[in-house]
Amino acid sequence: MGIKLYREPRIENPVLVASWPGIGNIGIIAVDALRQIFEAEEFAEIEPWHFFYPKRVLIRNGVLESMEFPTSKFYISRVGSKDLILFIGEEQPGEGVRAYAAGKKAYRMANLVLDVAERFRCERIYTSGAAVALTHHTMKPRVWAVPNTERLLQEVGEYQNAILMSDIEGRGGQGNITGLNGLLLGVARKRGVDAVCLMGETPVYLQGLPVSYPKASKSVLGVLGQCLGIQVSLHGLDEMEREVERAVEEFYRQLPSEMREQLDRLKPAPYAEPGDLGPITEDEERRIMEDVERFFKEGGQGD
Amino acid sequence: MSQSGSVKLHSEPALSRSSMLVGWSEDAGNLGEEVTEYLNRALRGHEFGEVDPQSFFPLSGVAVRKDVARVPESKFFVCPSHAIVIFRSDPPRSEWYGFLDSVLDVAEHHCHSEQLYILGAMVSFSAHTAPRQLFVVANSAEAKEGLSQYDLVTDMDYQTPPGQRPTLNSYLLWIAKGRRISGVSLWIPIPFYLVAAEDPQAKKKALLFFNDRLNLKMDLSDLDREIQDQNEKLARARSRSTEIDDYIRRLEGNLMLTDEENRELIRKIEQALSEEG
Repeated sequence: MGIKLYREPRIENPVLVASWPGIGNIGIIAVDALRQIFEAEEFAEIEPWHFFYPKRVLIRNGVLESMEFPTSKFYISRVGSKDLILFIGEEQPGEGVRAYAAGKKAYRMANLVLDVAERFRCERIYTSGAAVALTHHTMKPRVWAVPNTERLLQEVGEYQNAILMSDIEGRGGQGNITGLNGLLLGVARKRGVDAVCLMGETPVYLQGLPVSYPKASKSVLGVLGQCLGIQVSLHGLDEMEREVERAVEEFYRQLPSEMREQLDRLKPAPYAEPGDLGPITEDEERRIMEDVERFFKEGGQGD
Repeated sequence: MSQSGSVKLHSEPALSRSSMLVGWSEDAGNLGEEVTEYLNRALRGHEFGEVDPQSFFPLSGVAVRKDVARVPESKFFVCPSHAIVIFRSDPPRSEWYGFLDSVLDVAEHHCHSEQLYILGAMVSFSAHTAPRQLFVVANSAEAKEGLSQYDLVTDMDYQTPPGQRPTLNSYLLWIAKGRRISGVSLWIPIPFYLVAAEDPQAKKKALLFFNDRLNLKMDLSDLDREIQDQNEKLARARSRSTEIDDYIRRLEGNLMLTDEENRELIRKIEQALSEEG
């Protein structure tokens, strides 16, 4: 079990940006966009056998021709004066039926990614995922930034459109990052490598939908561009964003009107008028979360 | 006794070459268990090793089957007079690669297996009165050679449909290919309403193939009695229930039943077979 290196690229103090699938596929879309924009070349992969069950078999004329596994690949690109290593995990290695990695396999995979990062002397690692938030889909998603060392707090707090956990009301700087997009940060800390997780906000009422949320991926790319000091063109995601936007609007229209009224209050208010309901209270926040959960449990039937 | 990783061998089979047969419990029509049990009995097989379940099964309790509690079992048997090794197991629930690789370690290093046969059942929407077919998938063109003389379907094309995963049998066949062990997986369609029962016709089909291919010289006439017995039970169920008869008649005419009718036929056949005892 290990890493298969196709070639030994000559790189200097690169930055590694890694992602695995998760809610809205926010991180994976962002990293894949970087791969396409900077025409990154594949140079290594993590052997899948011990992590994944195969995903496809091809039998032709009675002979088994091939067996495909979920891939975990490394790509390399030079962007300006900076070397960039990208890692895209097609699936999170799980124990049983969980969608997110956990346990021994997750820890092993995180360490293998770190092995590559250390081998090429990566100066920093970024991961990316989703932050389920009380936000509206018409708003620009913010990016929650979580570093794995106190030294980076000031730096990441200064990026435009990025916030720290402690900036979010009621969180007190606490929270969890589920799966490998989070675990990699912890393992990197253990091995003395600086790392930051950038999580694009996704509206709480979309978390149960099987749709991607490229709008948040764009926000992540915006912050990542600042972190890396590079220009990232976001237009490649425009069409996908428009398609998802239409599907989300359709879904939103089907929500029960009472729930929709509550959720409308998450939109930014350009100005307040007498009689406006004002910001959402903690009780209302709890109720919204419960309503959304119930809505999905009951099969998503609107009025 | 020797132990290597997850495999415990109680004795070393004295085989200079062999064929390994693999069958799974929980197979449709109980095919894997029925066929391997029959072979063990007929060829005087004895257990010589097992795979320790702790890395491959959740072990969060015990399953009760036929009123008896049991933990997952993965056992190796050897039939020395015919140079046959049988591996019968519950399908592992995790660490599939490690599990299947351990089985092939035993095949390659302890039994010197040159040929692997993996048995599996697949659910069919035909009637039980249709003859059983035996589909074969080989892990190389060479492994397929020499199979044309048997009554087999050897030209199968298949690709895993979206949302599904390959079977454990295909996975084992692929790992064997990587280790250059010649292997074939054998697939027998079982009528969907016999999946929870047993299908002696399918059992006979598999055993006839092994009998011919491995020159086992088994007398399989007892299986004809089993087949006749089950056919009579099913005929009585048809004569007692016009609904059962109608469903099966439609299947015999190559017509599809609705999902609800499928479920109803399964329920009625299970009830009829259980009443017959």
